This record gives sequence, C-alpha cells and structure tokens, in this order.
Amino acid sequence: MTSWTEMQNRSFYEATARQRAKYLLDEGTFHELVGPEAGLSSPHLPVLGEAVSFDDGVVTGVGKIGRRPVFVISQEGRFIGGSVGEVGGAKMVGVFQSALALYEKAAAKYPGDESRLPAILISFETGGVRLHEANAGLLAHAEVMEQIQICRGKIPVLSLVGSKLGCFGGMGFVSGATDLTIMSELGRVGLTGPEVIEEVLGKREFDASNRALIYRTTGGKHRHIMGSANYLAADTIHAFRAQVQRILALPYAEITAHRSIGSPALVEEQLGLTALAAEIKPKDAAEVWAYYGNANCETIPDLSTDEFLQHVKTRKGGSAS
Amino acid sequence: MSEHNSLKRDRTARIQAAIPLVKMGKVVEAANTVALLETVIRPGDKVNIEGNNQKQADFLAKELCKVNPEIVHDLHIVQSAIALDSHLDIFEKGIASKVDFSFAGPQANRLARMVKEGKIQLGSIHTYLELYARYFVDLTPRVAMVAAVQADVNGNLYTGFNTEDSPAILEATRFKQGIVIAQVNEIVDRLPRIDIPADWVDFVIEAPDPFYVEPLFTRDPAQITDAHVLRGMIALKGIYAEYGIQRLNHGIGFDTATIELLLPTYGEELGLKGKICSYFVLNPHPTLIPAIEAGWVESVYCFGGEVGMEDYVKARPDIFFLGPDDSLRSNRAFGQVAGHYAIDMFIGSTLQIDKYGNSSTATAGRIAGFGGGPNMGCDPRGRRHSSEAWLRCGAEDGILHERTGGLPRGRRLVVQMLETFGEKWAPSFVEKLDAWELAKAAGLDIPPVMIYGDDLSHIVTEEGIAYLHRCSSLEQRTAAIRAVAGFTEVGMAADTAETAKLRELGIVKTPEDLGIDLNRANRNMLAAKNVRDLVTCSGGLYKPPARFRNW
Repeated sequence: MTSWTEMQNRSFYEATARQRAKYLLDEGTFHELVGPEAGLSSPHLPVLGEAVSFDDGVVTGVGKIGRRPVFVISQEGRFIGGSVGEVGGAKMVGVFQSALALYEKAAAKYPGDESRLPAILISFETGGVRLHEANAGLLAHAEVMEQIQICRGKIPVLSLVGSKLGCFGGMGFVSGATDLTIMSELGRVGLTGPEVIEEVLGKREFDASNRALIYRTTGGKHRHIMGSANYLAADTIHAFRAQVQRILALPYAEITAHRSIGSPALVEEQLGLTALAAEIKPKDAAEVWAYYGNANCETIPDLSTDEFLQHVKTRKGGSAS
Repeated sequence: MSEHNSLKRDRTARIQAAIPLVKMGKVVEAANTVALLETVIRPGDKVNIEGNNQKQADFLAKELCKVNPEIVHDLHIVQSAIALDSHLDIFEKGIASKVDFSFAGPQANRLARMVKEGKIQLGSIHTYLELYARYFVDLTPRVAMVAAVQADVNGNLYTGFNTEDSPAILEATRFKQGIVIAQVNEIVDRLPRIDIPADWVDFVIEAPDPFYVEPLFTRDPAQITDAHVLRGMIALKGIYAEYGIQRLNHGIGFDTATIELLLPTYGEELGLKGKICSYFVLNPHPTLIPAIEAGWVESVYCFGGEVGMEDYVKARPDIFFLGPDDSLRSNRAFGQVAGHYAIDMFIGSTLQIDKYGNSSTATAGRIAGFGGGPNMGCDPRGRRHSSEAWLRCGAEDGILHERTGGLPRGRRLVVQMLETFGEKWAPSFVEKLDAWELAKAAGLDIPPVMIYGDDLSHIVTEEGIAYLHRCSSLEQRTAAIRAVAGFTEVGMAADTAETAKLRELGIVKTPEDLGIDLNRANRNMLAAKNVRDLVTCSGGLYKPPARFRNW
C-alpha cells in the first residue's frame, strides 16, 4: 500500500478522483459520503444499455485540513468523461447542503473563529452535462450554481483544475462561479471543447489535433495570465494541497476577493475584456501574452511552473501567487 | 535481329520531349508538373510514387491525379504504401489500373472497397523487403517519383533524416533506364550532403509545401496503462532476461514503448544493463530516450526518421548512423535487411491471433498490408551466424528432432504482446482470423497473415507467457495459447489441470511463476510518464510535434 506521504508527490494530473479527494485532505481524515457501497448509480444508463459506476463518476466526502472541516467533490474523467448526471449532481448538491448545515452549527459554537468553519473543494474533471441524461444533468448544473450562491458570505468554495480532461461545458461556468480557481499548467478550462469548435468552425479556425494550441488557449498558464486561474500550482497532489492550505489560512474576505462574478464592477471588467478582444483581434494566445507585457512569448509554454511564476506578467499585474 | 537498346532509346525520347519544360539544370517549375508527367509517363508504365508509413511524395501524387486520362492511363502502380487519398484517386480517375504494394494503413478501408468494386486490379501484397526485391526483378518502375529534403540545380538530392525508400527505388529505376522525378522542399546552392547523385535524377521540382511526414512512431507515455506496465514487466523478466536479448526490433505500439520506458527502472533493478537491449534496429522512438540517456544502448539503426527527433539524434553520434553533415541516414532497405537477419528477437503487438498462433492485423473490411512486420516477425531460414539468444531458443525447440533430425539449429525469438481484449472489447484471441473473410472478399490467394504460428515463439498477455516453441505438438501449442487467452472464447476452453501441467513443464508461466509483484505493476515504474518528461530527459533536444504537446 502506498503511504499518504508517498502519494503527495504523485501527479495530480494522473490521480483518480478518489485519490485526489483523499490525499488533498489531512492524513487519515477523509470520509467518503455516499460512496460505492451505497450503490447509488444512474437509473438512466441501464435503459440505454450503458454500464454504470457505483459512484456515478463523482467522489464526495469530508475530512479536515488543519482545524477546518473540508468537504470535497471530485470528478472522475474515466467514467463517461466525468460527465454530470442526475445521481452525481445530487451528490454534489448534497455536499453543499451538508457543508451549510455544518456551517450553521460551527458558526454558533465558535463565534469569530474562521479556522473552525467548513470549506468546499471541487476537483473538476469533466466535459459537462452527461448527454445520456441531459435534462437531469442540466438541472444539476443549475442546482450547483444556486448552492454556490447560497454559500456566499459563509463558506469558501475553491475550484481545482489539473486533471486529464480539464473542465469544460457547463462545468466551465460552474468553476468560474466559485470563489477562486487553482490550476496546474496541465489543467484546461473552457466552455466548448476543442473538437466541437473544430467541427463547427473548421480546422482553420481551431485545429483540435494541435494540442500545443489547445493548451495555449485553454491551459493553466494562459488562464493564469488572464486572471481566471488565480493560482498556478505544480503538478503534484502536494502542490495543490499546499496552495489550498495557504488559501484556507486567509480571512474569508481575502479568499473571496478573487471572485470573477458577483458585482457590477466585475461585470464591467468582463465586458471590457470582450471589447479588448474585438479591438486587438488576437490570432493566438501568445499575442495576448505580449499585449500584457511579456517578451519571448514563444518560450512561455516551455517554462517550468516556478520559472513561469517568477517571470511572467499577468493581466492583473504581477503574479497572484 | 533482336533489339537490345529499346529501353534507352525510349528513355532518351521521353527526356528529349520534356526539355522545353526544364527551366535550368534539371529544375522544372511546380506549375509545369502535370505537363511533365503527361510528357514522360506512357500508358501501361509501371510507376512508383515514393511513400511509406512515414514520408510521402505527396505533391507529385496529387499532380498525377490531374493528368489527362486520355494521355496517361492503365498505369501499374508499384510502391510501398497506399497512404494518401491521391494514391487511390488515380484509380477512380482511370489513370491507373493495377497495384502492387506493401502497406495501406489509413487507406485500408477504401482500398478494400475499390478492389471489391473492381476499380483496382490487385497484384500482390508484399513486405517492404519483398517489394524492393521485385523492383530489381519483375516490378522495375519505368518512372519513379520521389521526395527529398533539398536538391541543387544539377539534380543532386539530400534526403537526410528521412532517406527511407529513396535509394532502393532510384537504384532500380535509373539503372534500368527508367525516369526519375524528385519533389524537394527547397532548391539550394549547396547540399549538406549528397544522398543521391545527380546522374540518377532527371527532373527536380520545388514543391509548394514540404513533403508530409507522419510521426508514426511517437507514443505518448501518458497513455500507457498499468496493464501495459504489467505486460512489460512480464516480458522483461520472462523473455529479455531469460534469453539475454541483445539485438532486437520493437514493433509499433504501447507495449514496446512501455518496455523502453521500463529499462532504466525495472530493468536496472533486475541488473540487466549491458546484458540486454544493446543493439536496436528501430526508428528513433522518443520513448527510447530515457534508456539511451541511462547508457543502455550501444547502437540504433533506423528505417526512417521520426518527427521532432532530428536534434536529439544529431547530438548522439555514438548511437545513431549519421552522415558527414551529422544528420541521420535512414536507408529503409538496409534497415529491413538488418531486421530480417541481424536481430535475435522481434517483439510487437497484433490485433488478432488464432488458436494456432497465426496473427493478423487484417479485418474483413480492410486491406492493411504488411509493411516490415513479416520480415522481422519470422525465423529467417537463411540465417547462419549464431548468438547466445538464438542458440538458446533453438535448443528449446520442442520439435527440433522432427525438423533437423536433432542437428543443432538456432531460432529467432518472435514475440507477440497483447491484451486479451483489445479496443472496444474486441477479443484478441479468436477461433478463426478475420483474414479468411478478407481473402474471400478481396479475391486474395491466401489469407494475409502477418506472423505465422510456426514462426511465433512467445505470446505475452496479462495472464503470463506462453513459450510456444517449447511445445512438442500442435495440440500442446493450442493448449498453451488457451492458457494465456484470458476470458476470450479461446481462453474459456482452457482446462485447469492441463494449464497446471504446462506450468510445470515451463511452457506457460504466470506473473506469479515469474516472481512479479502485481502491486508494483503501475505507471510509477515508468522512466517518463508523459512527453514533457521525454523532452526534459533529452535535455530539450527532442522537439515533439504540436499534437503531442500538452503545454
């Protein structure tokens, strides 16, 4: 059996949903909620002759980081592309509801002590809605969005994106609605996946077989320069965990200062970006990096995470880490 | 009195007719390509368009589609690969009618359909080496169209990193009074080195785009599964170590890529460095980088190049065969000869294997061809030199007495590695190969078999190894195959008592018999887990194509 300590140095990109959920938390504290033994699987897939998974592709649980109770939602890309269906969606919502219930109790018991209050981590690996159960999947997205809003002012909700499939489709919106996002350079966030863009707009517009292009456009480094990935971590479970630890040690107001939606000023900021894109009409992400003051943009993809964080200039000025 | 100089007179006449199209030296403008082809190619000619599973004379192939079929028709295409749309378009358009080839890969479905519809008259499907051989006997091209990196105005060619089939095709064509046309990426004043001398070349055309090269041998370590690692560990311990395999070829695929990545880790742990895998006949596989950097490899001869490996190969002259300009020379004909005669083991994957051990990559709707597989995946009957591994495998032959009366003879190890179920849960072990269906549908004389059962010495699956050559009868051989065939139809017929007996005889070995700890068979055993690791390991010399970069 590989020890908790050994697992810390493993690749976050390669880790399974359950490994991410378990090893992001303090050693020995992870407790899975509605795990495979509960046998809750999709009622829709058997009707279509598809195999089910006993966790429906989402691992949910709770454990601790320091004194904080931390809830985790972790998506498994190996099961139907990490897609969100009815049962998986309900499990996600259940995590928010449990966290909120615990928040009320903890806030009453430890008034003024934020270090005792719960937090939620979402480790995304998904293409969004599970098309086999489209309506239920869409509803799950809306419900999770609502829960994030209910958590405002109470529970920090952190997005972690660094797994194989990235975070696409409706879940791209969901990650954007959380309080902040941690990515590795291997993480990708977007709405429409590369293959779909190519199919709709043609190979000249976007060549989905060009992985370097995909990473320049949706990968962690680009997202960090643009400010939508607030933190960039190296590709180990430890690096993500250490970043989460540092963030959760901050006051709630500071953690949520990174939000990209939720106020008229933030809406203005987003609209400003749209206008800028229309003005400079970049042909490639590297042109945007240059716009924000970076030199030698063609070498940026090759930099290690540390070198990148030391040298790169971001939209918001300097590095957020 | 019979005429003895008709070929040369015909050649001279065709070249004379094309003189108005020549701009300078041997250079013809790209815009005049169709006119040139209509001038020098005659109906019924045997024509070669260079291409294999890597580089392609794609511009010339496309231009040949544009010739007037009333002028140029009924061509007999003799070439390694049917790989591009244009290779089959010439048949749709009535420009060509018959084909003799080796490998079809991406066009396999369309080729099968067109043969069935009677649009193509199929000659034979060859191995690369067989086809080269026939260029010098009865399939000599009248006109050859090849691809080179650079030319000078006199017609000297630099084929460089991707030399591949050019020397074999041109030697056969030009020395039998044929006509040679080369598409080049650029015309320069001075070539880095001369791979083909100008007097073998008649016309040179600077193509609008560089010739296409497929990065066919790049395997992304990120896609290697724990099951690959298990099979790799089984093969290393039960075959490489067991026989001390020093000279070998690795087929294309994730299984052998995995073994390359296990050498510096599991191989090192087993103390095998210097005892196995010193000499490869192999393309410059990016997954071989960690083993080369760890000092495992003495020599690699390449059939062709591999996109992105140019600088790395150039910086490792002790290992690779480089020209005076320090870039790789990859002469496929010599590579195939080396792979046929000078290796002690071929190990690769296949799609289907039948209960007797015959294997094939053909399925009912695809004429995929052979490439180089059969020449490496066989026991070469003409081999006379010996080596430890060859002698050992021969000494274990269960029917040596029936074959030679007991006279000692060595044997090549021919190993197939596969998961018992392949993509989309298609069983890898079958009662009858799909190749039978294909033979019937396409009117082939015999089912296209990549490796015959009697040449196959070992099968490796997640269940273990079957040492087929140790069997003393066909019945025992089928039992050994059943024993490693898992839950396929073939494997379900296995009898527990019978398998136990084969394990006692050492004809079947499970991971347990080999002392392999299943818990350690996971991706953490790999010396590189992704393409980025390979780049790092190469000191930044390996430059992967964009499609393999996730950064």
